[in-house]
Amino acid sequence: MIPKLFQWLIGLSVFMSIWVALVFDYVAVEFSKSNRQIVVLFPFYLLVVFAGYSLIVIGYRVATFNDCQEASEELKKQIQEAKQELTSRGFKFE
Amino acid sequence: MASGKDRLIGWCLVFLSSIIFIYYTIWVIILPFVDKEQRIHYLFPEIVYAVAIPLMTGVLGLLFIGSFIVTTLLRSKPKDKTC
Repeated sequence: MIPKLFQWLIGLSVFMSIWVALVFDYVAVEFSKSNRQIVVLFPFYLLVVFAGYSLIVIGYRVATFNDCQEASEELKKQIQEAKQELTSRGFKFE
Repeated sequence: MASGKDRLIGWCLVFLSSIIFIYYTIWVIILPFVDKEQRIHYLFPEIVYAVAIPLMTGVLGLLFIGSFIVTTLLRSKPKDKTC
C-alpha cells in the first residue's frame, strides 16, 4: 500500500505534467482563445474551489456542532451536589 | 445542537462560500465563452483579478496566521519562565 502522501503527490504530478504539456505546447492541441484561457487558469481554479469547499465544511461543522448544553447543566448540578456533600462532611474548598 | 450564535455564523460561512464558489465558477469557466458585447461582462472585473485577488487574500491570510503565531509565542514566553 502506497502512503497517502505519495498517492496525492503522484496524482498532483500527473495532473501538473498534463497541464504543463498543454500550456507550453508539448502536445499539438489547437485551442481557441477562450479554451486556452480556461486551461491556463484551471489549476488555480481548482485551488480556489478547494478553499471554498474547506470554508463550507468549516461553516457546516460550526453550524451543526453538538455542544450538549443539557449535559453541561447536569454536570454543573452534580458538581454542586458533590461540593455540598463534601462541605457537610468537613472538607474545606480553597 | 449548536447555540444560536454559532448556528448563525456557521450558516453565514456556508452561504458566503457558496456565493464565492458560484461567482468564481461563472467568472473563470463560463464567461470566456460569452461574447464580449454581452452586458453580463459589466458584473465581472478583468480576468487578471481572478488570479490577483485570491493570491492577495492568500498572502494576507498567511501573514495574519504568521503574525498570530508570533504574538502568541511571544505572549506565552514569560509565563513559561515562571513555571
